[in-house]
Amino acid sequence: MARYGMVMNVKACLGCRACMAACSQWNQTPFWADEFEGKWRTRVTEVEDGKFPEVKRQFFPTICMQCVNPPCHSVCPTGATYINKDGIVLIDYDLCLGCGYCIEACPYDARYPYEREDLKKDAFYFGEDARHHQVHVDKCTFCVDRLEEGEEPSCVATCVGHARIFGDLDDPKSEAAQLVNSGQAKPLGEYMGAQPKVYYIK
Amino acid sequence: MDLIQQHTWGWFIAIYLYLGGLGGATLALGILGELRFNKSKWFGIGTSLLGLAILSFGLIWLVFDLLNPLRFLLSFWVKGIAHSWIARGMVIIMGAYIFGLLYAVAAFFKWTTFKKWIGYAAMFCGFGVTTYTGLLLNANVGIPFWHTPALPVLFTVSAFSTGCAIIMWTLAGKNDHDSEHLFHAVEGFDIFLISLELLILFAYFDFARLGNAAVMKSAHLLLNNPLFTIGFIILGLVTPLILEAYASVKENSKGMAAFASLLVLVGGFLLRYLIVWAGVFQYPHGLAG
Ligand code: SF4
Ligand code: SF4
Repeated sequence: MARYGMVMNVKACLGCRACMAACSQWNQTPFWADEFEGKWRTRVTEVEDGKFPEVKRQFFPTICMQCVNPPCHSVCPTGATYINKDGIVLIDYDLCLGCGYCIEACPYDARYPYEREDLKKDAFYFGEDARHHQVHVDKCTFCVDRLEEGEEPSCVATCVGHARIFGDLDDPKSEAAQLVNSGQAKPLGEYMGAQPKVYYIK
Repeated sequence: MDLIQQHTWGWFIAIYLYLGGLGGATLALGILGELRFNKSKWFGIGTSLLGLAILSFGLIWLVFDLLNPLRFLLSFWVKGIAHSWIARGMVIIMGAYIFGLLYAVAAFFKWTTFKKWIGYAAMFCGFGVTTYTGLLLNANVGIPFWHTPALPVLFTVSAFSTGCAIIMWTLAGKNDHDSEHLFHAVEGFDIFLISLELLILFAYFDFARLGNAAVMKSAHLLLNNPLFTIGFIILGLVTPLILEAYASVKENSKGMAAFASLLVLVGGFLLRYLIVWAGVFQYPHGLAG
């Protein structure tokens, strides 16, 4: 039993998007989709802050926040969305009705539909290793399969700028827990009550 | 601010929300009319079956909105009933079918006491269906224009108003005393409902005026959309209100009231469609402030 969480150090993010590439390869997410904002488990968005001539450019990584009180789970009719023993919010593809309710309910825009065309593309690019065999709603799992092997999530493992700090929030010695406990890292949109476990240093 | 309109649900869901509310309200009002106004058994049977038919037609749209419509059978697996409005809705809808059909059978065979109690259960489920369509949207915490207790109230009142319109249509051609009596009772009830709807809308937009940026954006989108201001508010609410109020004090005015109910029916759909369309949320990077 762990309580996995992540800290995003926005200041350290270079905007190279290596995390997006690594994630989409590992998890076979639709990197082939047309829209950039479309179907990613993790995204890095370019944001401009301030007014001319004081404009600051920043890169802002987002991901499923693995909420403690996840609205996506509350609305799921079939129990397809569930929370595992380590506090990771997962989807049982066999039970997913494909109603899209969770996509609407997630306040962090972390979910997207894995549609029929995506299945075809997945089979085309990955052949026998394809991991998606039915339509379903998809989102970040903190690479639960890698965690089981004792590895970090693929986005964390590839992050060039050490902008993604992953760890067990219950382990006071982990860097992630220290950043959270010291109050340096804060969650987004706390007022919505989802209690995210991804925190931000801005 | 990175505010954008949701794009997961579109007019398929809007049609479902509309027909679900309409079907549920027709079922509930039809049975109420039959039980309270001693209408003929065929009125009760007809309106309850009509309500269920409308509901069924609505469910088709919901099924076609699924990623894979063939998976609809999974919707009977309501493991999320403790917290999900789709799961709860499925149970309420099943209740509406079971009690509605039993009511029709009981009405046909004139099992009076059984019919009354089953009728109440069917009415309760019909009412439940109308309210749940609003609660369904309400659960989306990231879309603050939907995440307000006013939404289920608005949808319920609107659904009953459209239900009144259907009942008036079924009665418009009949000239016997009972039908006339019920027609005018429904007409009066509809005048009350439309007035209430206007009041709720006023409260809704007043809340939006003082709300956060996403709520304001939703309200702004609606108030700048002629489909909402002219289509829904003027033609779908104010005009039928005036027409029905006028018809209620005039003899031989059923035609006018029937026309007003047609406007109410169109307005009801526009309301669902536009509320779904105007669901605005904020990208997470916008939440960082
Ligand atoms: S971020 Fe969204 S998808 Fe992830 S757990 Fe929270 S509500 Fe669910
Ligand atoms: S799309 Fe799947 S995971 Fe999402 S709410 Fe519906 S059944 Fe649950």
